[in-house]
Amino acid sequence: MGVTRQPRRAPRPYLTYAVQRVVQAVVVVLLAYCFTFLVISVLPGDPVTATLRNPQNNFTEEEVQRIVAYYGLDRPVWVQLWEALSRFVQGDLGVSLRSNLPVSTLIGDVLGSTVVLAVSALVVALALAFGIAYGTRNAPAPVAKALRAFPSLFLSVPNFVIGLLLINVFAFNLGLFQVIDSEGPAATFFAAIALGIPVSAQVAEVLIANLDHEARQDYAGFATSRGLSRSRLFWRHLLKPSSLPVVTVIALTVGELLGGALITETIFGRTGIGSLVQRSVTTQDLPVLQAVVVLAAVVFVVVNLVVDLVYPLLDPRVDLRGAARAPRTAAEQPLETTQGASA
Amino acid sequence: MAPQRRLSTPTSDSPAVQPLLRVRDLSVSYGGHQVVDRVSFDLPRGHSLALIGESGSGKSTIARSVLRLLPAGVGRATGTVELQGQDVLALPERHFRPLRGRTIGFVPQDPSSSLNPVRTIGSQAREASALLRDEAGHELDGAAQRQAVVDVLARVGLDDPERVLASYPHQLSGGMLQRVLIGLAVLPQPALIVADEPTSALDVTIQKRILDLLSELRDSLDISMLLITHDLAIAAERADSVVVLKGGTVQESGPTSQVSTAPTSAYAQRLHDDVPALNPDRYADLRAVGEARRADPASAPKIEVRGVTKRFSVHGQELTAVDDLSFAVPAGTTHAIVGESGSGKTTTIRLLLGLETPDSGEIVVAGERVDGRSHAELRSVRRHLQFVYQNPFTSLDPTWKVERLVREPLDRFRVGDKAGRREAVREALDAVGLDHALLARRPDALSGGQRQRVAIARALVLRPDVIVLDEPTSALDVSVQADIVQVLLRLQAELGLTYVFVSHDLALVRQLAHTVSVVRRGRVVEDGTVERIFDAPREDYTRTLLASIPDAGAARRPALAEQAS
Repeated sequence: MGVTRQPRRAPRPYLTYAVQRVVQAVVVVLLAYCFTFLVISVLPGDPVTATLRNPQNNFTEEEVQRIVAYYGLDRPVWVQLWEALSRFVQGDLGVSLRSNLPVSTLIGDVLGSTVVLAVSALVVALALAFGIAYGTRNAPAPVAKALRAFPSLFLSVPNFVIGLLLINVFAFNLGLFQVIDSEGPAATFFAAIALGIPVSAQVAEVLIANLDHEARQDYAGFATSRGLSRSRLFWRHLLKPSSLPVVTVIALTVGELLGGALITETIFGRTGIGSLVQRSVTTQDLPVLQAVVVLAAVVFVVVNLVVDLVYPLLDPRVDLRGAARAPRTAAEQPLETTQGASA
Repeated sequence: MAPQRRLSTPTSDSPAVQPLLRVRDLSVSYGGHQVVDRVSFDLPRGHSLALIGESGSGKSTIARSVLRLLPAGVGRATGTVELQGQDVLALPERHFRPLRGRTIGFVPQDPSSSLNPVRTIGSQAREASALLRDEAGHELDGAAQRQAVVDVLARVGLDDPERVLASYPHQLSGGMLQRVLIGLAVLPQPALIVADEPTSALDVTIQKRILDLLSELRDSLDISMLLITHDLAIAAERADSVVVLKGGTVQESGPTSQVSTAPTSAYAQRLHDDVPALNPDRYADLRAVGEARRADPASAPKIEVRGVTKRFSVHGQELTAVDDLSFAVPAGTTHAIVGESGSGKTTTIRLLLGLETPDSGEIVVAGERVDGRSHAELRSVRRHLQFVYQNPFTSLDPTWKVERLVREPLDRFRVGDKAGRREAVREALDAVGLDHALLARRPDALSGGQRQRVAIARALVLRPDVIVLDEPTSALDVSVQADIVQVLLRLQAELGLTYVFVSHDLALVRQLAHTVSVVRRGRVVEDGTVERIFDAPREDYTRTLLASIPDAGAARRPALAEQAS
């Protein structure tokens, strides 16, 4: 019986693995773009021409020809796709049919607000989840027991209810923030709480289950037998292995954050991707919608890519030499997730 | 139930000397279900005491009660467990914690799961070294702690402590990990070590080395040991006194020499009879039937393996799993393939069953070539060649009933009509001694021994000539193992079956096999008849394997006599 020696983190397998993952991610984004493009092009009735030819919109024949030529609507679908794809690769997302502004400008204007909201919500969710999970292992028994009920409670309350409650109590009753100043830090904070609470439930659920699981493992008993205190056992032994699956869960909750952001923005009266999507759906502004769908896909792919790249660094057991054994995450089902996010 | 008996060792009789560990009327229940019932024993300082029992005997639960590692909220222990005069069960955790590691150490059962998989050995060793104190009672500084860890790892026989410390658990072998665990347990120099089946997850030769290490540390560091084991032979070899448990109650206790040579309770007697190492000739009658067939000059070999080599490519590296392997098995006898993990046993089985194709050499079973045949052609060979898996807890589909499990091979080979198959299934059950009432049960409702009987019935139902048995009893308790071995030998005597028996348990091989191939790293080290191999081994490796059979005769009687004087 010899030691199965292997370099602890051989750089070469990791590099190969990382390059593979990045290439996969790029392919997924391009496929997502093609998919949405084709879905829109097979829809009955060509919305672009329909919009342009609508007498109310007052486009001159010359303008119509120019726009039709720009989108290549007079040519076969695959040529259109190729052109759209080359424009996409160059960063040109097209022009809004309603405002005549470039789609990238429209999205750029509102993206910041949504990103701030989603990231703060994620921070709130992680802090809450960790607090609950920590409590279940280290608080006195009755408190720990009560804390275990929180995730299901959080999950069962829709986030618009939480949002309305927060507005009612903290804005109207306590006056801690102004509903009018919807982009201010205080308002953002409470919006992030509304959005973060349901997400925290999922993270906490997984974290608690993993902590319970790890605490039953032989090594936890062996560590206890060596005289480690409860809190040292938690920090030094249980937390890291329990947190590894949470990393994957975080990647999955991105969809929740994006979908939830749309609702939360409406409730808190924020201008963000949510309001942009709402406007574009009602006005059938397809270039904008397509861009948002692709954006959602990009966010998903990037987050999952980060998880895939970080995971082997966190877990020494992941063996990168067999590519098939790389961690599975949501990025494996690109189309399903993009559809989910755009719904 | 045998009467409860207190262990009376000479030291505990004199009131002046307090035993290190004194257990009185310990009862443990898990959620209302009582698993340990009024167990009492004494462990004098410097002694080793073995708790022996099969699964469900409560031996590990007793160990966990002593260590206060019972699952919180579920396990409830009553009675007294006195460690150096302090009642461990009554102590609040903050008073017991200083005793953990320093007074009472723990060597767990499964080394592969007993260290945190995502932290290096070094960072976990630091926790053990943080318990060390200098003469003034202060914690040692970082360098001194590190040195202490390096020293103790070298002490337990790890050649390169620095490399071990930088490794993650999955990068080390089981034997090395068990050494690490023992090192961490003895580092703070506890007065008592509780070792819960410390070797059952290890290869036999490693097993012996780990037990030797524990004995040696015990003597040199003056540590007492509470050894939990299912193996009476190991207990007989390593412990001063034993407590035999069954169903949570003490069946018998006393000095090892007495219990292992002249057990008085019926259960200890049975346990004694069932241990292969203590009874090499238990099945001599049944085995003699095959022996006569082997000695018959007219008998033709049923299985012939000639010069078989199999290589695998792993991560671009060529690995020879089986290297020029040859053996022949006379019809109606048992051939054992003995080796440790990595010896090529599993590949040999897969080659025999036609699941792998050899790179060179040939395999002939019942006159038909197995190697180099297509899947369809193999079907006819398979009818004569059946397989019994190692672990009956995972090899049977849990959603199927026994009837269907046993009938499946008949259905697959379309043997007979419906009534004929029904009849054949019942005959197979009769052959392995299972009641027909079990036909409607699913594997979950069967014991381990019953499951393995079902697996054997399933192999028998096609009336094969050859059965390949892959450590068929290693997942079973020793008394269940004895039943299965009995069934196998009876079937061989009655039906003339030929067995290929793959095992690492030499004592068991001695009981039932006729010929043996000792394999190591894919090569045959030595082969011959059981008598020749066991009585006159020619190779060092065979001698090492033989030496790993626990020697019950070496029970620590001298030490005990010393204590008594």
